[in-house]
Amino acid sequence: MSCPLRETPSQTAGPYVHIGLCPDGPLTDLPQRSLGAVSAPGITLQGRIFDGAEAPVSDAVVELWEPAAGHWARSACDDTGLWRFEAPRPPGPAPFVTLWCVARGITIGLWTRVYLPDGAHADDPVLRGVPEARRKTLIATAQGADAYHHDIHLQGAAETVFFDP
Amino acid sequence: MQPLLPRDHTGHAPAFCPEYKSTRLRAPTQQLLALPDDIATLAGPVFTASDLGPDDDDLLVNAATDGAPLGERIILHGRVLDEDARPVPGALIELWQANAAGRYRHARDGYTAPLDPNFGGCGRTLSGADGAYRFRTIKPGAYPWPNGPNSWRPAHIHLSLFGPSFAQRLVTQLYFEGDPLIPLCPIVQSLPTPGDVARLVARLDMEATAPMDAIALRFDIVLRGRRASRFDGQDGA
Repeated sequence: MSCPLRETPSQTAGPYVHIGLCPDGPLTDLPQRSLGAVSAPGITLQGRIFDGAEAPVSDAVVELWEPAAGHWARSACDDTGLWRFEAPRPPGPAPFVTLWCVARGITIGLWTRVYLPDGAHADDPVLRGVPEARRKTLIATAQGADAYHHDIHLQGAAETVFFDP
Repeated sequence: MQPLLPRDHTGHAPAFCPEYKSTRLRAPTQQLLALPDDIATLAGPVFTASDLGPDDDDLLVNAATDGAPLGERIILHGRVLDEDARPVPGALIELWQANAAGRYRHARDGYTAPLDPNFGGCGRTLSGADGAYRFRTIKPGAYPWPNGPNSWRPAHIHLSLFGPSFAQRLVTQLYFEGDPLIPLCPIVQSLPTPGDVARLVARLDMEATAPMDAIALRFDIVLRGRRASRFDGQDGA
């Protein structure tokens, strides 16, 4: 059974995505307030996003979604490709947050997950479905009690696992 | 909430498009992995009018300092629907664009065309109960970009959408009917078929024009639909 309509085709967000999604950031001088900038107590999660030549993707925008807390946030990468969130600590036996990112050269938004390092990863159905050699691309590194680091690689030997939700 | 239909990638550009050079080092090379239907994909953030400023949907005034922006005044409107042609109410639509000269108000845009002190290029709105949305803005100009030695983007407006499910998240660009740069643009032409390109073209809508004020263009946006909706009662868990 086919649908009467088809999903509108995706197109790249391009290099100037901050105008629309992060209008009060350092690269723009617009009157609008950015959405999703509110931080929440819990954990700090940050990392860089790199292309296939290990260059930082400085024009990316990353969004975080943590449904148990209904927490959504958005981070514009800086010149070093760094994104950063302060978010509620996700619950569950294998806690994770969902990330979604767009940038110039990304034709359709990319979904990934970041699991905290101290979860029951062996029992997580999504992680179990990921080839073992690539699972580490979904697991953050602790940098203190409530701080985590996680880099995203669009290509290369450490290419992050991306999902088709 | 009903599960989503799987995304039909045959209607989208591939991740790697050789003619669009920025994809060469940024396209993932591994296959996307499936995810189960769960709250992480089916739920999504909820936005309300309190998230928006009073003129966020009117780019003719929302960054103006001492007058109206230069350029062709347009009304951009349409409906947000899902693949079953049902309206999607409460969808957050964010919009960004160059000014009439083809220049973005962004620190990294070095194009020689001038900024317009009365134009910002950021717009936002929420779809109504019937999925309808409406912006006022100016028609953006075409501009050169460093893809090839002489590459020009057709006039376009960027759009970002949220449906009720985070997995319906979509970013796209709309183009203008009859633009001769559309067939020359590798970003547009990375779409699989001319029919897919046609789905990104906003069309003249004379009935919606504001006479002696602004010309109207219509652009409907389709988000992913829901799998079980036509099998209600038959998808027992």
